[in-house]
Amino acid sequence: MKKSKLRIFSIFLVALLVITSVGLVSGAWYLKRLEDIVTEKFEGRKWFFPSKIYSDSYLLYVGINLRLEELAEKLRRLGYFEVQDALKRKGEYRILKSKGMVEIYLHDFEFPTELRKGVPVRISLKGGTLARIENLSTDKEMFDLELEPELVTGLYERIWQERKVVKLAEVPPLLVKAVLAVEDERFFSHQGIDPIGIIRAMWVNLGSMSFQQGGSTLTQQLMKNFFLTDERTLSRKVPEAIMALIAERKYSKETILENYLNEIYLGQRGSQGIFGVWEAAQFYFARPLSDLTLGESALLAGLIRAPNRLSPYRSAEAATKRRNVVLAKLFDDRVISRRQYETALNENLPQRALVKVTNDAPFYVDYLRRELDENYSNAVLTKEGLRIFSSLDLQLQRKAERALVEGLKKLEAAHPALRRKGNDDSLEGAIVVIRPQTGEIKAMVGGRNYQKSQFNRVFQAKRQPGSIFKPFVYLAALMYGGQSGVRYTPDTVVNDSQFTWSYDGKEWQPDNYNREYFGAVTFRRALESSLNSATGRVAQDVGIRRVREVAHRLGIQSALPAVPSLALGSAEVTPLEVAVAFSTLANGGVRTRPLAVKLVMDQNAQPLEKRDVRVEQVIEPQLAYMMNHLLAGVLDRGTAFTARRMGFNRPAAGKTGTTNDYKDAWFVGYTPDLLAVVWVGFDGQSKLNLSGSEAALPIWTEFMKSATAGMPVTDFIAPEPMYESVPNVLGNCAPLGREGELGGQPCLPPATPPYRPIRDTQ
Amino acid sequence: MKIADVKNFSDYLAGGALALAIALAGCAPQRPYRAPLPPSGSAPIPTRVPPPAPQPEAPPGSIEIIRKPLVQDPRIREQDLEPPPAPPEKESVIPPSVSEYPTIPEAQLALPPPLPDDSSLLAKITAGVTPQRAASLRLTDEASKLLEAGEPAKAISRLERSIVIDSTNPYGYFYLAKAQHRLGRYKASLNFLDVTAARLSGDPFWLAEVHALRGENYRALGQLQQAEANYAQAMRLNSGNRTAADALLRLRADALPTTR
Repeated sequence: MKKSKLRIFSIFLVALLVITSVGLVSGAWYLKRLEDIVTEKFEGRKWFFPSKIYSDSYLLYVGINLRLEELAEKLRRLGYFEVQDALKRKGEYRILKSKGMVEIYLHDFEFPTELRKGVPVRISLKGGTLARIENLSTDKEMFDLELEPELVTGLYERIWQERKVVKLAEVPPLLVKAVLAVEDERFFSHQGIDPIGIIRAMWVNLGSMSFQQGGSTLTQQLMKNFFLTDERTLSRKVPEAIMALIAERKYSKETILENYLNEIYLGQRGSQGIFGVWEAAQFYFARPLSDLTLGESALLAGLIRAPNRLSPYRSAEAATKRRNVVLAKLFDDRVISRRQYETALNENLPQRALVKVTNDAPFYVDYLRRELDENYSNAVLTKEGLRIFSSLDLQLQRKAERALVEGLKKLEAAHPALRRKGNDDSLEGAIVVIRPQTGEIKAMVGGRNYQKSQFNRVFQAKRQPGSIFKPFVYLAALMYGGQSGVRYTPDTVVNDSQFTWSYDGKEWQPDNYNREYFGAVTFRRALESSLNSATGRVAQDVGIRRVREVAHRLGIQSALPAVPSLALGSAEVTPLEVAVAFSTLANGGVRTRPLAVKLVMDQNAQPLEKRDVRVEQVIEPQLAYMMNHLLAGVLDRGTAFTARRMGFNRPAAGKTGTTNDYKDAWFVGYTPDLLAVVWVGFDGQSKLNLSGSEAALPIWTEFMKSATAGMPVTDFIAPEPMYESVPNVLGNCAPLGREGELGGQPCLPPATPPYRPIRDTQ
Repeated sequence: MKIADVKNFSDYLAGGALALAIALAGCAPQRPYRAPLPPSGSAPIPTRVPPPAPQPEAPPGSIEIIRKPLVQDPRIREQDLEPPPAPPEKESVIPPSVSEYPTIPEAQLALPPPLPDDSSLLAKITAGVTPQRAASLRLTDEASKLLEAGEPAKAISRLERSIVIDSTNPYGYFYLAKAQHRLGRYKASLNFLDVTAARLSGDPFWLAEVHALRGENYRALGQLQQAEANYAQAMRLNSGNRTAADALLRLRADALPTTR
C-alpha cells in the first residue's frame, strides 16, 4: 500500500516535472517568437507610405478672368481656411468683398522643381478680372501666382495611412505631457504593464457597469497598433502585455514614446486616415507641431481616445469638452499654471469644414496607374511615398463627368429604347479632354459610373470612329493631291454619286445617308456635310495608303488596314487616339505626346522622372489651318450646327462621327486651347440608332460651354504666309441654293446656316 | 546547437518563468525610472551658345526603384532621348577640308547692317498686348533668366505654362528649344524650333535666332553642313547675330589647319 502510494507520488512528480518542463519550453519558445516579432518591428521598417497623386497646379496671372467665389472654393479645397481678421498664419485667407480683394497666406509647398515658401499675398479683382497681385511681406507687385496642386488620391494597399514621422525632440513638450497625462501617467515608472492602472480601470468600470477606462499602458497600445487587432479579448490582451514587457526590456522609454506619437491614429479625412501627431496638427490646425498652442496640444491628446467621435470637425462641443478635461488634468498635475490653464480654456476651436479626400477622377487615376506601372512596382507605389504630379485639372474633370452623366441621362429620357433593364449593357459614354499646345490630358471620364464598371473606354475601348476619320482623307487630299493629278482645294468640285471601288478582287460601294446623293459638291461641302460617296471618291483618288499614313502621322496608333472602308472610319481606334490626332490639327500641325504623368518625386523631393512637353511639326501649319477652317464649317454650317444652336459660339472646329450600323456616336471638337472627344455607345455593341450629332455632340457642347466660360475667346490664327493667299487657299463657302454653284461668300460663321444642316451620315 | 543558443535558450526559460510569475502575482516589479521629457530674376539673348554636354533627364533618385528605363512615349519615337552623340572634338576628329564645306558665296558675305536688338521680351508688353500675351511673355522672360542661371528644369516648367497661357507666343517655344538644347536633347530642340519658326514669320531678328540655334543643334549632332547653312541663314537675316558669326568663324578655323 505504502509502496503503491509512493509509486503514484513518483508518477505524479514525474508528470508534474514533464508538464512544467514542457510548459517552460513552450513558454520560452513563445516568448522568443514574440521577441523576434517586436525586434523586427522596432529595428526594421515600421511604416509604409502611400504614394500621392496631385492635380496640375493653378496659375493666376494679371488679366485672367476670375470670380471671387471660384477662388474661395479653390482655396477651401486646398485646405486654406477663412478668417475675418488680419492674416496671422500660413493657410489662412480673408475675403474683403467690398474692396474686391482676397488675402491669402500661402502654404509652403514643394513644387516639382522648387520649394515655395508661404508668404502673404493680396489679390485684387476688377470686374471679374484679376487686376493686381501683391506680396504683402515685401509690398512688391507680382504678375503671376501659382497655387499648389490638389491632392487627388493616394495609392495604397489596404488602408491609406497618412503620416509624417517626427523625432521626439520635434514634438512640443506640452503635447507629450498632455498625451502622457491622459493616456499613461505612470509611463516612466512601469515596465510595460501597469497593475495599478488596471485595478483602477477595473474599479471605475465595475462602478459604472460599463467600459469607461482602459488599463492599457502606452506601450501596450503601441503593441496593439503595431501587431494586433482592436478586439478586447484575453487572447489579444495576453500577447499584448508580454510584447509590452519585451519592448520595455529591450528599448528605451524615449524610443517607445516616439514610436507611439508617430503611430497613433488621430482622425479620418475621407479615405485618408490621419496617423501620428504631425499629420494630426496639419489636419486639424494646418500648422506645424512647433506652432501648436496649449489648447491645441490638449485637444490632440484628448482625441486619442476616440478620434472620430471627439473630432472638432464633427462636434465642436464634444471636442471642447474633451480638451477641457485634458487641460484640467494638466493643471491638477501642476504641469501648467492657472494662467496658462485659463488662457487655454478660452482658445477658440478652429471652425473649418472638413474637406475630404475623395478621388474625383478614378478613371484618370487608373490611366496614370497604368503608365506608372511600367516603371514602378506595386510595392514601390504603395509603400515608398512617391509624389506624382499630373496634368489633371480637377475643375475640368468634374465638369466633364457632370456633362457625360447628365447627357446620358437626357438621352435615355428622350429615347426610352436606350434604357436597359439590369446592369448588363447600359448606355455608356466616355470623354477625354486635352490641351492641344502641350498634349496634357486635363480630364478623363472612362464611363458613366466607376463603381459599376471600371472599364476605361477612353483608352481601353477600341471602336469604329465612323465619320470622324474623314478629315484624314481630306487632309491627305490637300497634302498630296490626287493620283489623277487633281490638286485639291476647298473649292474643288467632287462628285457625290454612287460608285464602286474595286480592290484586290473585291468591290466596295459607299452609300450616303438615306441614299441621298448631291452630285457635284465642293470639297468643303462634302466634308461639312459628311458625304460618304464624295469622301470615298476623294480617298480613291488620293490612295488609301496615303490616308492611312496621314492618320498615323497625326497620332493614330492602332493598326489601320489599307482597305477602302478605312476612309469612312471602319478601323477601330480609341477616343484617346482620336484626341491626340485632332490635337495635332488644333495645334497648327504640331503633334504632342499625351501627357498625364508630369513628374515623379521620391519622399525626399528628389525627381525620379520628369516628362516634359514634346512637340513635332508633322504637317505644315498652313495645312493644319486649312483643316481647322474646314472643320469650323462643320459647326457653323454642317452636321454639328446644333452646338451653335445650343449656345456654344466660340471659334471652334469639329467633326461628328456615326458608324454605319449606328453602334457608335462620336464628336471631336476643339477651340485653339481645348479639345474634347465624346463617345457614346453600348459596350455590348447594341445599336444606338442615333448619330454623333444627336448623341455625342450635346454632351460635348455642354462640357465646352462650361469649361470655357470666363476664358478669353481665341481663334485659330492663320500662319502669316497664308494671309496673302487666303481667298485662294481657303476657297469660297458654298452659297445658298443649288449644289455645284460656287459663290464668293466669305467663310465666316453666318447668323443662319447657309444651307440646311444635314444629318450626319456614317 | 551552439553554446550561445543554449545560453539564449536558458535566458528565455528564465524569462518564461518570470513572465509566468508576473502573470500569477498580478504585478510587475517596479523599477524606479524617470526619463527626461524632451526640451521644451530681361536678360538679353545670349549671343553665343556653347555646345552643351548631354545631361541626364532627371537627377538620380535617392532610392533604387526604377526597374526599367524611364518611360518614353512610343507615340513619339524621338531618338534624342538617348544621349546624343558628342560634338566632334578638335583633337580627335580630323575636320573635313574647307572644300568639303559648302562655302558661303561672296555675294552673301556682303551682309546687310545688323538689326536693332529686339531680344527684350518685357519691352514687347505694350498697351495693346492682351493679358494672356503679357503673362506669357513675363513667364518666358523669367524662364530665360533661369536658363542663363543654369536652371533648365525650372525654366521648362515656366515655359510650358507660358505656351498654355498663350499658344501663339513664339518666344515660349524658342526658349523651350533653348532649354532642350541645354539638356542635350538636340532633336527635341529642333522640333521646338520648327514650331517657333511657324509662329515667327516675318520677324528677321528672331528668325535669325532660330537659325542660329538650329545651327548649334546640328553642330552638336555632328551635321556640320546643315549647321553651317543655318548659321549663314542667320547671318543673312541679321548680320549682328553673334552666335552665328562666332560659330561660322569657329567652323572655318577648325577646317583651316588641316589644309595647311
